[in-house]
Amino acid sequence: MATAFDLLPLIAALPFLSFVVAVTVGRWLPKEGALPGIAATGASLALSIWAFLTVRSEGAYYDNSLYTWVDAGGLELSFGVLADPLSTMMLVVVSLVAFLVHVFSLGYMNDDDLHREKGGFPRYYAGLGLFSASMLAFVFASNLLMAFIFFELVGLCSWILIGFWFREAAPASAAKKAFLVTRFGDYFFLVGVVGILVTFAGATETPAAFAQDGFPQVASHFLESGEGSAGLWVPGDLATDTWFSILGLLVLGGVIGKSAQFPLHTWLPDAMEGPTPVSALIHAATMVAAGVYLVARMFGFYAGLPTVLAIIAFVGGFTALFAASMGVVKNDIKQVLAYSTISQYGYMMLALGVGGYVAASFHLMNHAFFKALLFLGAGAVIVATHHHQDMWKLGGLKRSMPVTYYTFLAGSLALAGIVPFSGFWSKDEVLYDALLVGLEQPIFLAAYAMGLTAVFLTGFYTFRMVFLTFHGEPRSEHAADPEPLGWNVKGPLSVLGTLAVVSGLLNMKPVAEAIGNHDILYLERWLDGTLGAGIGEEFSALTYHHYGTLVHDVAHLEEASLEPFAPAAVSLGLALAGAGLAHKLYNVPEPEPATERLGAIGDLARHNYYLDEFQVWLATGVTEPVARAANTFDQGVIDGAVNAASSVTLFSSERVRRIQSGLVTNYVVVIVMSVIVFVLAVGIAGGWFL
Amino acid sequence: MTVPVEWYLVLSAAVFSCGVLGVLTRSNALIYLISVELMLNAANVNLIAFSHFYGSATGQVFALFVIGLAAAEVAIGIGIILVLSRNFGEADVTLPTEMRW
Repeated sequence: MATAFDLLPLIAALPFLSFVVAVTVGRWLPKEGALPGIAATGASLALSIWAFLTVRSEGAYYDNSLYTWVDAGGLELSFGVLADPLSTMMLVVVSLVAFLVHVFSLGYMNDDDLHREKGGFPRYYAGLGLFSASMLAFVFASNLLMAFIFFELVGLCSWILIGFWFREAAPASAAKKAFLVTRFGDYFFLVGVVGILVTFAGATETPAAFAQDGFPQVASHFLESGEGSAGLWVPGDLATDTWFSILGLLVLGGVIGKSAQFPLHTWLPDAMEGPTPVSALIHAATMVAAGVYLVARMFGFYAGLPTVLAIIAFVGGFTALFAASMGVVKNDIKQVLAYSTISQYGYMMLALGVGGYVAASFHLMNHAFFKALLFLGAGAVIVATHHHQDMWKLGGLKRSMPVTYYTFLAGSLALAGIVPFSGFWSKDEVLYDALLVGLEQPIFLAAYAMGLTAVFLTGFYTFRMVFLTFHGEPRSEHAADPEPLGWNVKGPLSVLGTLAVVSGLLNMKPVAEAIGNHDILYLERWLDGTLGAGIGEEFSALTYHHYGTLVHDVAHLEEASLEPFAPAAVSLGLALAGAGLAHKLYNVPEPEPATERLGAIGDLARHNYYLDEFQVWLATGVTEPVARAANTFDQGVIDGAVNAASSVTLFSSERVRRIQSGLVTNYVVVIVMSVIVFVLAVGIAGGWFL
Repeated sequence: MTVPVEWYLVLSAAVFSCGVLGVLTRSNALIYLISVELMLNAANVNLIAFSHFYGSATGQVFALFVIGLAAAEVAIGIGIILVLSRNFGEADVTLPTEMRW
């Protein structure tokens, strides 16, 4: 009898199969490839839940050599599976969202006249299938190289799906931008992967693995005890922990690109050119989460490196605030959501940077639910109003689209962090963890302050979006008379709406403190491997407890002790203040575009702080002249030398070939003369004539 | 009476030189072929002379090989001459000069 762990590869294989079906025979199927996709992701969801339950009852599972790819003596590169609390939780989240997005796509793509006219559905479902397969394989990857391969594959799928309507200029260019910007980060990631392989190859047999004696364990063991440095390769006379920090930062490059953190976040708002279900699946709930998930996955490596942790926390805190400030002034509903996504991933990075492994995973899960919900809700609004995304052309949809409104509202309350919706519990835990570390190390307090300010902005832009879209009077004829939506739109919205309300109950830290019962922190216990049968002795290096020890003892991040109630009240108060301001400005029958009164700051935010222009200038003003100079050098000096050598040969051969007359008698003359000369030469040298 | 080996060598050299001269100066393909035969046979005379001189049969065996080779060469040579005369109307080796770069 096969166990759930034997079937783990199927979780990724089934969506891949649906990709193959959609590509080959999709156009002849009813619904053009949607049904295999739904069936495959549904089955993946079932298998993921089974794996989750099996981890709960039997502990974690790790098999790094399911398929050996390269076996070069000491170094073995392989594909494998790692099912532990973190990865099975993520598997369930990803396959659930993928399944719901597939169902939603029926309503968004197949049932919409304009989208049917544009066609290409088999390509769309093929992209979704391939994406789901690569993302799920990335999640259960057992080693860094496998993770990298699937990390790149999800990037490819993102490119395919953003540029789905590639005949129009904007999606094609957005797809290219997304691919290039994330590739820029991935380049550092690749160097980091190679660096890690080289560094740890001598110290362990499985240098890239995440579990057992993989690199996080070797590194943390070294940082903890100073032992085991014998097999480590460190360039020059660098200190080993400095080198580890460099490796960590290199991998972080990929994380920053993929999770759209400052300064590589510019691709995500453009990626909204893709179909909205794609934005929900890839650019909100899953692919963008890959970066944060990767840091969490190898947190044993990061947890002992205080410099890298500080950088992660700062990038995260800054991105949270920076992106939120741009979300405030956007008028396109999807743009607001895109900036909010960047901002929320900033929170997760902030949490990881202060050692809040549980808080980050918690927010990752909640955000996947409520942001997928918000994007799908936006998609529902878009199809119902004949492709109107400008919030100033919407309004008053509350009465005509009640299901969408109430689910969207649930998602918005979760995003803004209003108690008791899911976002409140996780965002509060992120900020609480940041504050505890910040009170002892003032430098982290700055990151916390940025995160806290972003709470206010989040509350404001979220409810600005809700009020402008759903409240007041309709501001266009399409908003006054939206199309009715089918079950395939309302179903996924309802499921996610429910989750946005309840998923926060898994880890209610303030409540646990208040009633003095830490058993209700289910997620914390789950990630600590103490829920159910326990994670298993050999996996103790993957627990929250172990990470906490590392952060505390090795990275020396001290935590103040503080009751969680006052910080929770502060962040809730700020969120409510933001929502209240939005209510005052926009929940009126005739809302004014109030953000235009922000003056210069508003202009700056509306133009994304001119970061796009700056990056274009970097490309055309700096990189291009350098490339041009290099080209001149290449053409002139290097190619010149090669060409000169060849032209000498050409010229001399042109002369020498004249010897060939084609006249057979001449050849005989040459042969005879040569023989005579040869004999004479031998004779003279041999002294015959003396 | 025995003929000294030097005489054979002189004869062989004379015949070989005749062959070389023919190849160098004549343009008729048949004469060409005959000149080549002369050179080959000059070599044969050498081989047999030394074979006799040393009392070993190896040289004579080689001479037989050379005769066999000469027969094969003539077969190909005649074929080439036929093609020559078909393409140029006469068997003149100075006419085909196209087989070069």
